[in-house]
Amino acid sequence: MEASENVISVRGLVRRFGARAAVDGLDLELSAGECLGLLGPNGAGKSTTVRILSTLLAPSAGHVRVLGLDPVAEGARLRERIGVVPQELALYDELSAHENLAFFAELSGRTGAARTEAVSAGLELSGLAERRDERVKTFSGGMKRRLNVAIALVHAPELVFLDEPTVGIDPQSRERIFEMVAALRQRGTALVYTSHQLGEVERLCDRIVILDRGRKVAEGTLSELQQHPRVQQRGTATLRFESAAAARAAQAALGPRGATATLEEDRPGLERIFLDLTGRALRDDPEGGPEGGPEGGAAAREEAR
Amino acid sequence: MRAWLLARKDLRVYFRDRVAVALGFGLPIALCTVFGGAMGAIGGDDTLGRVEIAVQDDDHSEASRKLLSELGAADGLELDLVGPDEKGARERVAAGDVPVALAIGAGFGAALTAGDPLPLTLYRDPGKVIELQIVAGNLIPAFLGALGEDLGQRSIGKVLETLDFPLLGRERAQAILDRSWSSLSDLVQELERAPADGDEAPAAAVAVAAEGEKEDEAFDFASAVAEMLGLTVEDVVGGGEHGAAQRRAQQAQAVAGMAVMMLLFGLVHCGGTLLAEEAEGTLDRLRLAPGGPSSILLGKCLFTWLVGLSQLVILFLYGRAIFDVPVFRSPVALVVLSAAVAAAATGFGILFAVLCRTQKQLEGFSTIVVLTMSALGGSWWPLAFAPDWYRFLGHFTLNAWAMDGFQGIFWYGKGLTEIGLEIGVLAGIAVGAIGLALRLFERRLRVR
Repeated sequence: MEASENVISVRGLVRRFGARAAVDGLDLELSAGECLGLLGPNGAGKSTTVRILSTLLAPSAGHVRVLGLDPVAEGARLRERIGVVPQELALYDELSAHENLAFFAELSGRTGAARTEAVSAGLELSGLAERRDERVKTFSGGMKRRLNVAIALVHAPELVFLDEPTVGIDPQSRERIFEMVAALRQRGTALVYTSHQLGEVERLCDRIVILDRGRKVAEGTLSELQQHPRVQQRGTATLRFESAAAARAAQAALGPRGATATLEEDRPGLERIFLDLTGRALRDDPEGGPEGGPEGGAAAREEAR
Repeated sequence: MRAWLLARKDLRVYFRDRVAVALGFGLPIALCTVFGGAMGAIGGDDTLGRVEIAVQDDDHSEASRKLLSELGAADGLELDLVGPDEKGARERVAAGDVPVALAIGAGFGAALTAGDPLPLTLYRDPGKVIELQIVAGNLIPAFLGALGEDLGQRSIGKVLETLDFPLLGRERAQAILDRSWSSLSDLVQELERAPADGDEAPAAAVAVAAEGEKEDEAFDFASAVAEMLGLTVEDVVGGGEHGAAQRRAQQAQAVAGMAVMMLLFGLVHCGGTLLAEEAEGTLDRLRLAPGGPSSILLGKCLFTWLVGLSQLVILFLYGRAIFDVPVFRSPVALVVLSAAVAAAATGFGILFAVLCRTQKQLEGFSTIVVLTMSALGGSWWPLAFAPDWYRFLGHFTLNAWAMDGFQGIFWYGKGLTEIGLEIGVLAGIAVGAIGLALRLFERRLRVR
C-alpha cells in the first residue's frame, strides 16, 4: 500500500443474496489511523460490508481494496494484516484466556518470546491477567467480550474491524473495551467500528457512515451530520423583555417588537440524526433473527455457504 | 384442559422440527429394517450361510470320491477341494482361510474295506464355534450317505468272519443288516425333510440354536459327531484347552467388534467439533488466520485420528487385561492396523461432519450409518457364517476390513504382510474419505 493510499477504498460495492441486495452501490473510504463508525438499523448491510472487507464474503460487484489488496484474490495476504472482532463471541470455552490467546498467536505465526509477549499484552489490555488460567466458560459476559477483542489484536493488525463489540456487557467492561480501542488509535491502527450504541460511535469515531437498506444515506463527522439537510434543525428562542408588561404585550402579539432575541440552536445528537436519516419504521427482517438481518453473523455465514 | 394445551404446544414444536421427526419416526423404522433383515439373513432357514470346508483327498479311491460327492451335496457346506500343489488343509485352517478342513489320508479306501481305523483328520478352528456346529451337523448325513452302509456292512461282516460264523449265518446276518440299514436311511431322510413340513429345524439350525444356549453342550455335540464318525480331531489355532480357546475367540471378536463400532461413534463426534466451531463462530476466526480451509480440516483430521488411535490402544489393553485377548501376538501389525483403522474412521467422521449442516443432523445420520455398518461389517457377529451377499455387502464397510485384520492378528497371529490387504483397503478408505471431505470443505468455505 502506498503511503497516500487509503486503508479502505470501496467503489460501487454490491452484494446480493438471491434477488435481494444487502449492499447496494456503497462507496467507502478509510484513511490510515482513522476510526470509521458504521451505523445502520438491522438489515442495513453493516455486517455484510465488514465480512466483504475482511475476506469472508465476496462482493457481487464493485471495486474493493483493503490495505491495497483485493480481499478475494489476495485474501491470504490480507488476513495476516487485519483483525476482526466478531459480533458473536468466538472463543474456546474449555480453554483458559491464556490458552485462547496463545492458540491464536501461534496460529498467526508467533512463537517463543513473540508469542509470550503478544499473549501478555492481550491479557493486560483486556484486564484478564489475573484470571489468565481460568477456563473461559467460567467468565462473565464482559470478560468474554474483552477476550473476544483481545484475540483479534493478538497479531498486531494494521486494520481492525469491530462488529458490535460491546453487546450486552456491563459499563465497566465497556469502558475497558473503549480503552482498548483508544490504545489501538494511539498505535495508529485504522478501525471500522459498527454498533447500535450510538453514543459509542459518537465518542470513538472520527467519521460516521450511516447505512440503510444497503445504501449509504449519510457520511461525515458528527458536526457535518448535524448539518445534513434531512436532519431537522430545531432551535429554542429565548426572549428577554425590559419589562413584564412588554413581555406580556409581546406574548399577546406573538411578535418580537421591543425585544432582544437570541436563538440558541439545539444541536441534534447522533441518535436523532440517525432516526431522522433512517426513519422510525421497524426493520424486523424476517430472515434476520437476533443478529440483525441476513448480513448478521450466523445468517451471513449461512449465505456464504 | 391445561394438560392438553401443553401437549398441543409441544406437538406443534415437535412437528416443526423436521430433523427430530425424522429421527423419532424414521430412525426406528430404518434400524428395524436393517437389523431385522440382517438377523433374518443369518438365522433364517432358507438363507442359512454355508460353511466353507477345505477337503484334501490324498487317497483318490472310489470311497473317497463318494465321500467328496456327499460332502459337496450337503446343504450347509461349501466344499473347497485342496489341489496337490496348494496350501494344505491344515494350513488353510491355521491361516484362517476356512474354519474347518478334512484330510482324507492315503489308504482311506483300503482301511474302510479292512475295517481298520480310518485315516481321516478334521482340522478345526475352535474360535469358529457356530461354523463347527454347522459342519458337524452336515457331516453326519454326508458320512452316512457315502459310507454308512458300506461301513456298517463291512464292519459287521468282519466281526462275523472273525468269530468264524458259518456261511449261512453270515448271509442271514447280512440280510438283517440290509433291512435295518434301509430303515435307518429312511429315518435320516425323514429328518432331513422335516423343516419343509415346518416341524423341526435341520441339524445345522438346531446346532446354531443350541450353541446360543449352552456352549459346552454344543462343543460336546461337535466333538461327539467327529468321534462317532471315526475322525481324528485337531484344533490348529488358539492353543490350550478347547473350551478356553473358544471363549478367547469370542472375547477377541467382542473386543474388536465393539472397539471398531465405538471408534466410529467417537470419531463422528470428534468430526462434529467442526460443526460446533461453525455454530460458535470460531470457524470464522480460524478462516481469518493464515492457512486456509485445508489446514483447518487436516488439523481436525489429525486431532480425530489421535483420539481414535488412543481409543483403540486403551480398549485393546483393557481387552488384554480383562479377557486375555492376545493383543501382543504381532505388535507391529497391530499398531499399523490400528493406525489404518483410526485413519479410515477419521475419514468417515470428518466426511460426515462436512456433509451435514448441523450437529443434530450429524447425530441422526451417523447413528443410522454407524449401527448399519456395524451390523453389516461384523462388529456384532462374525461374518463367516453370514450368506455370501451379506458378506459381500459387509465388505463395503470399514468394519469388515478392520474386523478381518484384528481377528487375523489376535486369533491367527498374522503378521504385517499377511494383513496387508486389510491395511491397504483401510488406508484407501481413509485417503478417499479425507480427500472427498477436503474437496467439499474447501468448496463450502470458498469466498463467494
